[in-house]
Amino acid sequence: MAKMKKKWVALCSTAVAAVYAAGYWSTEVDKPEMLVNGTYSSPIVSSKASVSGNDEVPSKYIDGTYTGMGSNRRGMIQVTVAIKNDQITDVEISDFAMHYSIDDVIGMPEEVLQIQSAKVANVSGATYSTIAFSDAVQDALNQALRT
Amino acid sequence: MKWKQWFKSPKAYVLITISVYLFIASWATHSIRGIENGGIAVGTAIVIDVLFALIKKRKRIMPDGAAITGLIVALILSLNTAWPIIASTACLSIISKHLLVYKKKPIFNPAAFGLFLSILIYHTEQSWWGAFGDLPSWYIPLLLIGGYAVTNRVNKYQQIFTFFMITFAMVLAMELLHSGDAFDALRPPFINATLFFGCFMLTDPPTSPAKPTGQIIFGILAAVVGTIVYGIYGGLMYLFIGLFVGNLYHLLQTRFSSKVTTKSRKEPRQRGMTD
Repeated sequence: MAKMKKKWVALCSTAVAAVYAAGYWSTEVDKPEMLVNGTYSSPIVSSKASVSGNDEVPSKYIDGTYTGMGSNRRGMIQVTVAIKNDQITDVEISDFAMHYSIDDVIGMPEEVLQIQSAKVANVSGATYSTIAFSDAVQDALNQALRT
Repeated sequence: MKWKQWFKSPKAYVLITISVYLFIASWATHSIRGIENGGIAVGTAIVIDVLFALIKKRKRIMPDGAAITGLIVALILSLNTAWPIIASTACLSIISKHLLVYKKKPIFNPAAFGLFLSILIYHTEQSWWGAFGDLPSWYIPLLLIGGYAVTNRVNKYQQIFTFFMITFAMVLAMELLHSGDAFDALRPPFINATLFFGCFMLTDPPTSPAKPTGQIIFGILAAVVGTIVYGIYGGLMYLFIGLFVGNLYHLLQTRFSSKVTTKSRKEPRQRGMTD
């Protein structure tokens, strides 16, 4: 079978590149707020409770419910973290947009409650989801920090 | 086969190219884990392939195809995948190569089949790190250089151009219709996966057609099915599912053409007997 001529290879490559560029440009225009290369989206605070009295020993966190986000090249995880008296009382995955199965991180909210930290154990074979989840929880905790 | 001949074979082109990718990606990620994973996957694939060759009493035992399958598995599975899962995925790939066959040729691309089963069985995380999925975009030209060299050697330009054109056009349509995640599909690591997949897995000679018309239909099927699956479900299995549909088309095409050939061979003889 005859090989494709070089000029056809160049022409077809250019056509493919043009269609790719059109798609890339369209998505870039539509989603300028999306960040790539493993950077984080800006944190969102959904609600905050009132600060405790002045005569008490200052706590590390301000009581309330916070929304944190962790993202990387494989998608994004959003969590809501409830804090009361410096304790993480509830963690929920409010949005899971990774390109992997949610089953990989389904037990992690429970783990955060047990260890009272965002540093969950890395699940072998689910590194990207684990990192995104951990980052999301840490993002929420950072917002709750008393400055 | 002499070494000089082997170096000019399509398998040598693929094996050398993806080995170079393994070392570049390992160097760039500052991790020896990829090379370890490559050793585990290639070692397992070769052992299982040689065992099958011995069981089938083959005269020529040359596990270069198994080494390619093992390397592809290692380049796609996440660097943090546990070694038994890597070995088992390579094992599944080689078993499919020897058990799911038609006329001694594998029906499905072995690496794709093993990786697909690996997602279903072990929920493996596939990062396409060996396709530079974790690295900056300027590594992509390296994928294209190696990919074009291999595609040129196996003479499958029609197939990859059709596949890429249809895939990118459908992703553009997805974006215009605001359906599915077109943004991710055109950026690393997904674009790396698409390019690596198109150049090194789609072009696998035993599991894809040789003639230009067959290549074009194969490319269309793989792209259409894969992109629809991506648009609806997202995830990472979409490329493999598209490829399997293409592989099945190739199987049907081979069966149909072999039946026609057999019939046309029989007919003159039958005519001769009755005339």
